[in-house]
Amino acid sequence: MSNTTAAATPGAFQFPEIYNFPPFFTRQPNESTWQEQRRQWCDLILAYYKHNRLYSLTLAEAITEPPFTNRQIHRSLRVDVLRELVDDLVKQGNASWTGAKNAKDSCLVLWRKPEVWASMIYQWANERGLFNTVLTVFELANGDDAVGQEFHNLDSVTLRRALDVLQSQGKAQLFVGTSDEDMGVKLFV
Amino acid sequence: MMKDNLEDFVREHQRDIRNNPAFRVQVQRMCQLIGVDPLSSRKSYMSELLGVGDFYCELGIQIIDICVATRSINGGLMDLDELLRRLIRRRLKGSEPVVEDDIRRAISQLKPLKGGYKIVCFGKRKMVQSVAREMNSDQAKVMTLAQYTCKFTMEDVRVAFGWDEDRIHSCVDDMLRSGIVWMDEYNEAYPEYWVMAFFSQLNSALTMANAE
Repeated sequence: MSNTTAAATPGAFQFPEIYNFPPFFTRQPNESTWQEQRRQWCDLILAYYKHNRLYSLTLAEAITEPPFTNRQIHRSLRVDVLRELVDDLVKQGNASWTGAKNAKDSCLVLWRKPEVWASMIYQWANERGLFNTVLTVFELANGDDAVGQEFHNLDSVTLRRALDVLQSQGKAQLFVGTSDEDMGVKLFV
Repeated sequence: MMKDNLEDFVREHQRDIRNNPAFRVQVQRMCQLIGVDPLSSRKSYMSELLGVGDFYCELGIQIIDICVATRSINGGLMDLDELLRRLIRRRLKGSEPVVEDDIRRAISQLKPLKGGYKIVCFGKRKMVQSVAREMNSDQAKVMTLAQYTCKFTMEDVRVAFGWDEDRIHSCVDDMLRSGIVWMDEYNEAYPEYWVMAFFSQLNSALTMANAE
């Protein structure tokens, strides 16, 4: 599973003020405080992952790194709390569990939903006159034509999700290759 | 006679009153000495003369806005200094400067609201409370205990006040339930309880200092 950081936004990520608050890393016993806390965490996860162009996380590894660990204040989120947060993101369409069924140990972080990636790719193909041409999936995201596009060097699993959306909308046809990169795609009106 | 002179004075210096907070405070004190309360009615002739009716109304709305937006994080309690800082940051460039005295007056105008806006003090800390809640004296004592460190453990409370376990638990539970305190379980044996409003003030002061 690729995890490219090719087009990461320049400049350091700006953490919200609450990130320096040690209790932010403890699941709050007060229900309404917890509601606010989980909302802030979900926003933070999506913003952080978007800024750094990260697309997936494995829970057990992720909690030892930012944003789930804040070394300055020596705090880390617990795995079970992170699992709850990912479930929240899944509910809002911004994450998807991967790996063994019900294991909930790894996921995709969809800081941009597949439908949105799909529409960006489709629009670009239209502008470049690429309809009815067969491209390899790899070429689509990594070729010269993709340079400067948001989806340039897009993580292959996320890309595949976007193309699946286009296929289900009747706007694309995927052709099986020997691997995800080999796979071909034809976009059409 | 005095009132007429005061009215003339105010009319002449209307712009200064709006733009110079120190001057504004002095004029208001003068009004009070003479027995005129410019804020007693928004439509009052004096408040129109002073041109401050709108100013405090607008300020009141901004204060309510900030308090409501942060309530789910701080349980409706915010340090007065932090509120002032947020107001200044939020107000457009070129609008009238604001000082602590203005906040106090704006808040006194908000008293009739169900929100229960008022100023409460814990030791040296001055806080704006924006929910209708009576903090009992145990909680107030603990808040004062934590005023500098922003946090406390149950052990700290026991050592400071000698209360029994039930009384401490009950107090801490109330504070958690009201949303003014967050729990930090880093040390599972001795969890720390942080007063969000105290931390927030410290943190925002540091952030602004670093930004300058």
